Amino acid sequence: MMGELMLAVKDKNNGGRDGVEPRKNYCKLVMQGKYELGRVLGQGTFARVYYARNLESGKSVAMKVVGKEKVVRAKMMDQMKREISVMKRLKHPNIVELFEVMATKSKIFLALELVRGGELHAKVSKEGKLEEQTARSYFRQLISAVDYCHSRGVFHRDLKLENLLLDQDDNLKITDFGLSAFFEEEENNQVLLRTTCGTPHYVAPEVVSKRGQGYDGSKADIWSCGVILFVLLAGYLPFHDENVMQMYRKVNKGDFTLPSWLSAEACDLITQMLDPNPSTRITLAEIMESKWFKSDSVDCEDDDESNNTTNSKFKEVEALNAFHIISMSEGLDLSALFSEEKKKREEREEIGFTTTMSETEVISRLEELAALSGKFKVSKVGDSVVRLQGQEKGRKGKLVIVVELFTVSSSFLMVEVKKDSGDTLEFNRFCQNHLRPTLMEIVWTSTASDIKYTTPPPAAAAAAVASDNYTSPPAAAAAYPYVAAVC
Amino acid sequence: MGCSISKKSKANYWDFASLASETMFSLDEVEAVYVLYKKVSCCIVDDGLIHKEEFRQALLRNKGKPDLFVDRVFDLFDLKRNGVLDFGEFVQSLSIFHPKSPAADKILFTFNLYDLQHTGCIEREEVKEMVLAILKESDLELPDEVIEEIVENAFNEADSNQDGKIDLEEWKEFVGKNPSLLKNMTIPYLMDVSTVFPSFVENKIMLI
Repeated sequence: MMGELMLAVKDKNNGGRDGVEPRKNYCKLVMQGKYELGRVLGQGTFARVYYARNLESGKSVAMKVVGKEKVVRAKMMDQMKREISVMKRLKHPNIVELFEVMATKSKIFLALELVRGGELHAKVSKEGKLEEQTARSYFRQLISAVDYCHSRGVFHRDLKLENLLLDQDDNLKITDFGLSAFFEEEENNQVLLRTTCGTPHYVAPEVVSKRGQGYDGSKADIWSCGVILFVLLAGYLPFHDENVMQMYRKVNKGDFTLPSWLSAEACDLITQMLDPNPSTRITLAEIMESKWFKSDSVDCEDDDESNNTTNSKFKEVEALNAFHIISMSEGLDLSALFSEEKKKREEREEIGFTTTMSETEVISRLEELAALSGKFKVSKVGDSVVRLQGQEKGRKGKLVIVVELFTVSSSFLMVEVKKDSGDTLEFNRFCQNHLRPTLMEIVWTSTASDIKYTTPPPAAAAAAVASDNYTSPPAAAAAYPYVAAVC
Repeated sequence: MGCSISKKSKANYWDFASLASETMFSLDEVEAVYVLYKKVSCCIVDDGLIHKEEFRQALLRNKGKPDLFVDRVFDLFDLKRNGVLDFGEFVQSLSIFHPKSPAADKILFTFNLYDLQHTGCIEREEVKEMVLAILKESDLELPDEVIEEIVENAFNEADSNQDGKIDLEEWKEFVGKNPSLLKNMTIPYLMDVSTVFPSFVENKIMLI
């Protein structure tokens, strides 16, 4: 059975079609004046995917058309809405992006990133098992994307080769993240929409035995990744039997045979991933530390120095004034309407706060922080701009943070902390776990927003300062600087 | 609009298509905004209208306590000045925050926002009141002379004719030099509101 999400398009097939007579499978339709629909790219049991072009931007997309009735009949409308908004938040180079959702009376349209290189599944069925080197490159991308989603509490629950697509540059793209429950293929003509997720061949034993109730989504995804890795390296499925019950029995016991041609490191990793006991199964962090995963990695030391593009990005610095701080008010941040409290905090790309510390004090605090954590290299970009360059590779490369200081009045500074590159979640964690506590050591009064920092009494603050070899003149300590987050 | 009209038929009452044509939103986006509107409008009083308390709660999640800035925004959204926001007012006002909305609309909105007393000018006292409010929001207490200095600096920059108040022309010029003052006037989410609040509302013309 072909995967229903056949996004594979050969360029020559969709180029230059404008003005051509409509043919079979090619209907020229304009959707809501915005998208021109082209030919059918793939068809599943209840979704059909079209090639489409955004008339405004000229951008090509894959338009997935879902019959509303079927979703309603399966009473999954709310879940579908919820999952669409989850999916929207996922932005990763190895995840198919959802651009837009539209609807008519009977249909739902999902405008998705068009991936033109075909399915990884097709590649393996055609060419057979992959070289370990090639498989590793795909596997790393898979794990990177899965790790990214898990860090945001999103689980795929139906990872399988058919859900892995390739783009023109042979990059892997996972499709249907968060939506897998809706777009499964009809398996043995059983049900249209299954709430218990997963394709039998890829599904973890605890998912089968618990019927999808109360299992660890992260561990279940790792199992599926293990099956995927096996297929890539072996060219066939690890668990297979004509008799489904027999097959589940094998899955439950983790009963599979490793092909003789695999390297010891690969065998080791697969065995740890296909551990039927979820609590002893390898974790994502351990996978990324495993020998096979790391071997012959060309850890491209992304040129720290030449990466200083930030410099040029700085526009002429605006002098800050009263209106700048006013505009930072939480009450004027209407984007709050669009996000849950928690997410808002975690997905911020910049934070700002005001302080009565002097510029040099703030900068020396930051330098101390970097030295203490050992994870950052500090460089001063200008008089009032400090760049913190992460030394460890994160989910989306190294974290780079830019701290800019603005003078509002002679004794009042505004500090803007921005993520320049790297993972937003890691940035927020850094601000939460390192930056804020560091500045709090001096005195951090509470933010008006959700998290409350208690102000240590002056004595305690002084003690904290003293124990940290804080060497400012006593006068400054007496001046008792304030730091407060404004947004 | 009788009070017996159910929420569902109220949705029909609004002509989504004409709201879409009057604003920066597409039809699907108007529907998505409607989902948001419904959510906010029933969080305290389930009457299909947004009350000030509900607006405060949605923005600050603080159980609807008064807030200088939120209340100002609410008053500006309340185009009919009847103390509640209906869906039309909500969509039209929110449209100003759309990334594609003209900067002139955003500038005018901020001007009216900061002109607390509706005098047609932003006055020194108003700025001071707002500075005090934002400092309070951050639990920050500063000596009065520091606050005066902050206000003074702002007027030195913005009040080009030095008459002690900032008129619309001066404001436009000032914002032109300080574009980041408009940062909070754009809500990036509005670009993809259809995915943040998927709606699939029923009452729509079939286009395909």
